[in-house]
Amino acid sequence: MNFNLFAAEEQAIEQARSLGERLNAVAPECAADFEAVIEAFQRSTREQRRLVRVSDRLQAQLGAVNQELERRRQEAEIALARLREAQEAMLQAEKLASLGALVAGVAHEINTPVGIAVSCASHLSDATDRLKRANEGGGLSRGDFARYLATASDTTGLILDNCQRAAQLIAGFKQVAVDRASAERRRVNLGAYIQETLVSLQPKLRPVGHGVSVSCPADLELDSHPGVLSQILANLVMNALTHAFTEGQPGSMTILVETPDADTVRLTFADNGRGMTEEHRARVFEPFFTTRRGQGGSGLGLHIVHNLVVGALKGSIAVDSAVDRGTAFTLLFPRVTPPDEPRGGERTQPT
Amino acid sequence: MDSLNIPATGRTPGVAFDFAAGHLRLTGESYPDDVAAFFGPVFTALRAWLAEPGDDPITFDMELLYFNSSSAKALMNLFQMLEAAAKAGRPVTINWCHEENDESMRELGEDFSEDLRHVAFSLRNVPAGGIE
Repeated sequence: MNFNLFAAEEQAIEQARSLGERLNAVAPECAADFEAVIEAFQRSTREQRRLVRVSDRLQAQLGAVNQELERRRQEAEIALARLREAQEAMLQAEKLASLGALVAGVAHEINTPVGIAVSCASHLSDATDRLKRANEGGGLSRGDFARYLATASDTTGLILDNCQRAAQLIAGFKQVAVDRASAERRRVNLGAYIQETLVSLQPKLRPVGHGVSVSCPADLELDSHPGVLSQILANLVMNALTHAFTEGQPGSMTILVETPDADTVRLTFADNGRGMTEEHRARVFEPFFTTRRGQGGSGLGLHIVHNLVVGALKGSIAVDSAVDRGTAFTLLFPRVTPPDEPRGGERTQPT
Repeated sequence: MDSLNIPATGRTPGVAFDFAAGHLRLTGESYPDDVAAFFGPVFTALRAWLAEPGDDPITFDMELLYFNSSSAKALMNLFQMLEAAAKAGRPVTINWCHEENDESMRELGEDFSEDLRHVAFSLRNVPAGGIE
């Protein structure tokens, strides 16, 4: 059972010894030199044993290092998976927050026509009461009646206009909100949809007097995910309001839609704000990249835009900017969104 | 004779042979791309110095943390040169330094001392990370 790695060497040494004895008998003058040769061979064998041990030790160290490497690789992968989960969770939270902002914008916007309708109705009601009392007291003059008719005509006109406006807003918002929450695909007129989305942003735009001009072919119809488009526009507008314009200074934004060919849409969103450095421009779509850390910036707004354009619209987005020369985002995407690849549909699932 | 000083790199050891003081030292890690090219000049200098007349004591500190098989063979050759000098009557001490938790390096030291009969060989325990 006792395996000797150096059996052959030991056997050779034994043979050399017996040869040495015979040599000693016939040529004693060679004995000392021959002994030195044997000694050198023995040392060489010992060195060989040592080298094998050194080599084994190195191999063992290599094995240990490889194991450690594998362990760390696994740790890194787990950490990466956790990071991705956290990122996904933040994206969902951001999406919900933007939906919340949309609802708040809707409520604010509807408030105006409803408020006007309420005060007109109240005014009409007061006028009607006065007319009724005058009639009951028998003091109703022809002039009173004519004035009442004028009031009723004015107020009912205003009530009707404003209620229609409110109904129109609600219809538009309803669609935007449903689209935003479901990310379903359907056919939609792009120009009209851009306008509906902008209405929900009016509360953010109006106080400072920011303007958004839209230029879009009137008959351009998409078969795509309008909710995604609406979120993209909202994020781009909010990004411009946060970064492009000096506090309190009105700025102007343009949305230009063109069709380089019948199946491709090019949407350019530009502002005339302060622009950005090349260093910032290059990193603008990176998740968590923000120049407003600690001031409410999550660094996700444009990252989400990028993901939605690339993931949901199957398009591309580029940004062009220079300091003091504004910023322009150019989106290129198919007019009819191609169907999802298998396993590629995670971004378009309802939340 | 002038000292021989070669600074350590990632793959080659630091050599500090202070011939005037009789103090020789190898530090760092040794797995050179070309062992002959690295150790050739080291052996030449050591051989020339040992050939000079003199019987002042020699101390050799082996402080390598890591060496490959070729370097191990070079080390054995170097030890044999020192063994020959010790056999000729010169006092030679080899200190084999190893980190205290590096059991296999200590065992290698024992192995390497096997053919040293005239050299005073000692194993030195140094704290982990203590070898510079």
